[in-house]
Formats: sequence, structure tokens, C-alpha cells
Amino acid sequence: MECGVLLSIRRLIWVIFFGLLTVNAGAGSRTLVLVVRADSKLVDLDSLAVRKLFLGLPVLVNGSPLHPVRNRSDADLDPIFLQEIVAMSQSAYDRQTLIGVNRQGWLRPTEATSVGELLNQLYADPNAVSFMWLTDVAHNPKVRVIRVLWGD
Amino acid sequence: MRFGRLLSLALLLSWQLARGEPLKYEFLLLPSAEGAGTFDRTVPDTQIHAAVVQADVLLTLQQGPLKLFSEYLLSNHEGDLERLQLGWQLSDDTVIWLGRFHEPGSVWNHDHHHGQYLQTSITRPAIEEWEDLGGVLPQHFTGVLVESGADVLNGRRLRMALAGGIAPQITEEGLEAFDLIHPDTDSRHQLGFQGRLSLHPNEFSESGAGLLLADDELTTVGLIEPAAATLDHVHLRLYGLFATYAHADWKVTATIYAADGRMYYTTHRHEDSFSVGYIQGEYRFAYDLTGFARWEDSIGAASSEYLKLFDRFARARQVAGLRWDFAHRQALTVQFARTHTLEGQYSDIRLQWSAAFF
Repeated sequence: MECGVLLSIRRLIWVIFFGLLTVNAGAGSRTLVLVVRADSKLVDLDSLAVRKLFLGLPVLVNGSPLHPVRNRSDADLDPIFLQEIVAMSQSAYDRQTLIGVNRQGWLRPTEATSVGELLNQLYADPNAVSFMWLTDVAHNPKVRVIRVLWGD
Repeated sequence: MRFGRLLSLALLLSWQLARGEPLKYEFLLLPSAEGAGTFDRTVPDTQIHAAVVQADVLLTLQQGPLKLFSEYLLSNHEGDLERLQLGWQLSDDTVIWLGRFHEPGSVWNHDHHHGQYLQTSITRPAIEEWEDLGGVLPQHFTGVLVESGADVLNGRRLRMALAGGIAPQITEEGLEAFDLIHPDTDSRHQLGFQGRLSLHPNEFSESGAGLLLADDELTTVGLIEPAAATLDHVHLRLYGLFATYAHADWKVTATIYAADGRMYYTTHRHEDSFSVGYIQGEYRFAYDLTGFARWEDSIGAASSEYLKLFDRFARARQVAGLRWDFAHRQALTVQFARTHTLEGQYSDIRLQWSAAFF
């Protein structure tokens, strides 16, 4: 019972959070959010873990590795990805991922070139993690927002 | 053969445990083509190939925490399965591997492996050379490798690796690693153990410093040189220190190895020791040009009985060159080197194209 009340409060907080963000988005600003499939076991991911994930390093949840999907559906996302998520230049990012594959057999993030393709990858894999404009995901019940990554 | 069965069993068991997870893969091709010429030569044979065209192929298959990682090198001179590792990702920081791997006690090879594109210079330091190219230290082992890391001292990163497995053996042609695909029935391979510990400013930094330890039992097979014919095995202990400093356009790497060898002949035992070190500096200029220079030297190499088993070993070498990165993940490199072996000296000049394709 107590658990149910806590769950309801949590949902309410999310509704308020989304509402505020959506209002903000409607006013012309843009917000980038980290997203997973709605039933994903992932609850939270700090910025260091997000950086590790998109550099191809293993990040596990309940013993299973997460699968990063780089959103390349919008050219505006690339500089934000490099500056805010992996914090390095494109050439350094290329080199870092190459080194990871060569030394450890790490997997590079897969890429999606359209929102539809990205959503399909998220729907198909409960361990997939990506980032999207909030406006692309705000009313989608199949996708859950983990955190805000960037806002202008 | 027994190891092959064990690997198959582990693969089957791990696959059962990872069932239900999506299968992911990664493919990387590292091709290169190189031409070389020698001059000012006082040694009868440098063993430098005039032309080498090679493709280094890496493939990772991953299902949940289970990974199968392989590296195959194909060239106009050889075709070898260099790495074949079955891994289990225990946590974000720890992975345990079973199979054929590059020993973690080699600083250069742990960083670069076989792909030419990821190393700035065309050649590797002589002390880090592969067994089948005249290398004097074991590089390929078949066994267990555990790699781990931990955050320590306010965000600094401690990296660790421990390994144990079947060590190479010494033949008339040099060191010969255990062949996982075609294991010799008459081989005398023994075991070797290695450890590596290093500290880095953070998880993503190339800078860092560390130490290495290795303890390898190297048996001999079919030595016919009179001085070595009665050698049964060598117990080789290796101690190493290394440091890398990478900052903006600069990168400097320095490594020193000290080796203690006990050489067991049928009639007596010989205590042997030598030290080898190198330092390489790189500077990135404008227009994607990178200049590099390396100095390799040794102490006690000329008097080492162990090193006399490898007459091509370079006891000292000076290397300088220039690399140009162009297009997308492609590079042209020109390199000059002056080498002093145990038998004489020579100079060589090389030109190489290298690339990386996903």
C-alpha cells in the first residue's frame, strides 16, 4: 500500500516535471533528454556514466550491459553530443572509440539517422539508451525520460 | 585440444546464461601497406621485408555480459589468429577473459596490438616485437586474463590486469607462441604469469604511470646451435616501469624493462640479466602532421646469453618520422631508423599507408 502511494507520488512528480518542460519547450527553447524504453530497468544514470556509455565503455544494470544509441536525426545534436555528453572533439571521440574496440572489443554506440529509426531501436531493446529532443518524446507512453542532458 | 574443449564448454555455458539478450557485434578493419629499404648495412641479414601488405580484422560478438572477441592478421607474409577471447563482463569495471590474448605486461602491445593505424610510428620498439618477427619476450598467451579498474584518490583511476596461461617456447627460429587452432602434439609449453598496475588522472586520460611483472617458464625445442643445444628451459622474470604523458599536442611515452633469466642447461645453470628501455615523443603540428622520435637502448644486452638466442635483436635504435592524417581515418607515415643489433648495424627508411574502417 505504502509502495503504491510512493509510486503515485513519483508519477505525479514526473507529470509536473514533463508539464513544466513542455511549457518551456513551447516557449521556443529546446531541451535534450536521456530516454529509455518505458519498461527499462534503468532508473537513473549520472553524467559520468552517461559519458562512459556513449564512449563505448561497459555500463551494466542488473548484470546486463546498456546499449547506447547515438541520435543523429538532427545536425544540431552533434555539437551538443560532443560538448555536453562525451566532452571531446569529433576526432578525439573517433580515436577513443577506435581504441576501445582495438583494446577491449568494446562496442561503439549504434547510430539512428531519424527519430522513427531511433524509436524503433528503443522499442526493440529494453537495454537501449538514447537522447532526444523533449518535444519528440513528451507524449510517448512507450518511452521514459531518465534525465535532462541539456537545455538552452 | 583440451583447452579447445574447455573453451567450447565455457562458450556453451555462457551462451545459455546470456539467452534472451540481443546479439550485438562490432567489426573493425585496420589495413596497411608498407615499403622499406635498408642501407649502411654491416649485418648479413636484417629480416626486413621490402613490401608488407596486411589487414588486421577485429570482430566482437556480444550477448548480454558475454563477449567473444577475435583478431586475425592476414598479410603477404603470414596469416595468424592473434587473439581469440571469450569474456564475461562481471561489472562496469571488471572483465574476465578465457582464450588467447596479448600479455598485459607489454606496454606497447597492450595499447596498440596489431593495428598499424593506431600507432604513430611504423615499427614498434625492438623489446616489444612479436615472437614471429624476432621478438625476445613472450607476447601471446593462452589462458585466463582478468582486467579491472577502480576509482581511487579523488577520481584518479587505478587499472589492473592479471594473467596466467600457456607461455611460448624457444625454437631455432625464435619464440613460438602456443597455436590455439593447430596445437602441436610434441610441444613442451609451460606456464607464465603477468601482472600490470597503473594509475591515471581519470578514467578517460591517456596519461598515467605503472609497473609490470612477469614470470615465465620458456622451454626449448630443437635448438641446434652448439652453444644452445643443451639448453633445456629458461625461467624469465621481467620487471617493468612505464609512464605516458599526453597533453594537447604532446605525447611522451617511456618504458623500462629489467629481465632476470635463469637458463637451465643439462649440465649447469646460468644466471642472466639485461635491461632495455625506450622513450618516444610525439608532437602534433598544423595540417594534421605529427612528428615523432624514439630512442631505444639497453644495458647488458651484448653479454646476455639469453639474447644471443635471438641474433636479430636490436640492442639500440634511433627512430624519427612524420605522419600525415588525411581523409577519414587514413594516414601516411615516413620513418627513418638506425639500428644496432648484436652482430652489426643498419639503417632503414620506410613509407606506410594505414587506415581504420568500421
